[in-house]
Amino acid sequence: MTPLILDDVIRQIRELPSLPAVVLELLSSMEQQDIDVHVLAHKIELDQAMAAKTLRIANSSFYGMQSEVTSIAQAVSVLGFHGIRTVVTACALTGSFTPVAGSGFDFQGFWRHSLATAVVARLLAPHMRVNPETAFTAGLLHDLGTLVMATRFPDQHALVRSYRQRHDCQMIEAELAVLGIDHAQVGSALAAWWKFPAAIQQAVADQHAIARLDAVGLPLLVHMANAVAHALDLAACEAALVPPLSPAWRLVALDDAAWFALLRQAERTFDELSRIMLA
Amino acid sequence: MNAGERAVPLEQAMEGAVLARALRDDHGAVLLAQGTVLTSASLAALRRRNIDHCWIVDLSLDDAPDKAQLEAMRQRRLERLPIVFRGTPPGTPGADLQALLLRYRQGEDA
Repeated sequence: MTPLILDDVIRQIRELPSLPAVVLELLSSMEQQDIDVHVLAHKIELDQAMAAKTLRIANSSFYGMQSEVTSIAQAVSVLGFHGIRTVVTACALTGSFTPVAGSGFDFQGFWRHSLATAVVARLLAPHMRVNPETAFTAGLLHDLGTLVMATRFPDQHALVRSYRQRHDCQMIEAELAVLGIDHAQVGSALAAWWKFPAAIQQAVADQHAIARLDAVGLPLLVHMANAVAHALDLAACEAALVPPLSPAWRLVALDDAAWFALLRQAERTFDELSRIMLA
Repeated sequence: MNAGERAVPLEQAMEGAVLARALRDDHGAVLLAQGTVLTSASLAALRRRNIDHCWIVDLSLDDAPDKAQLEAMRQRRLERLPIVFRGTPPGTPGADLQALLLRYRQGEDA
């Protein structure tokens, strides 16, 4: 098998469908202060499926609202701009890739792990001085490079999975052995193409770069959330394997009681969100 | 009533709810199929037709596992721990995470 060239992968990425206009607008507005939330609410309402999911997520225990959120305008008001961006981006991402028939790629397992990582990332964020909504989005995106390879290069990715099964190794080792390129590189290129914030691009690129993960911040958070999501076995994949963990995870000073509360909340929230977003 | 669904008066039905059963008119014709997500437009149309209630998916009523199921689940999770950590050498940060997860799983209520 000829190794993949990053330029070829980037060409494939540029052929991917754009994210919905409302998502692109939300992402590009990260630095803007003068967002008209009423216009934003109206744009979300125009996409019926997105509006429905947004309301259901707004009413989930993820956001712990005291009273029921019954309209998009109210959702924007109570979740805030950052919260709405998270929800809408999540809904759009989970609908942006279609499975390749007969490819053997576990699409459902992929999204379950991505959502699990996002949920853990959001719960870890306050302990690592990271914006929880940015953490959730980065967690959800962290493995999108895998999805690009599995859907745009299905034959090559089948060989990667076969190699991984034979050697019972980490996916990144199999990717480098078979293709000479890994999902972190590809995911980072996709995040750049979709104009995700630079911090998220960096977190996706560095998720397995243990040598560089030496300080509290978004890359270490995504790295830890990925490991914890695998450790909790939330994706329910038989071949799940916890990746190597950076020693810097000890910088997050949580005692057992705090960790247990976080893990319990992660399992509950994942259970609820997966039924809404992955149904 | 089936687990995971509940009847609600139409005036209490919310946008975003999912129909657990198809909505039919007086002649049995399907107005909205099972699985339809209610929108403000569909709710308004149903009100105009004087539909008084609908059955929606109730996530809070999903089949709650009994104690034996919970214990079996806990056991399976404990058994899975060394499997998902099979690539983690002793004495590494990953081994610390494994120990944390083991304490967490052992402390879970059945």
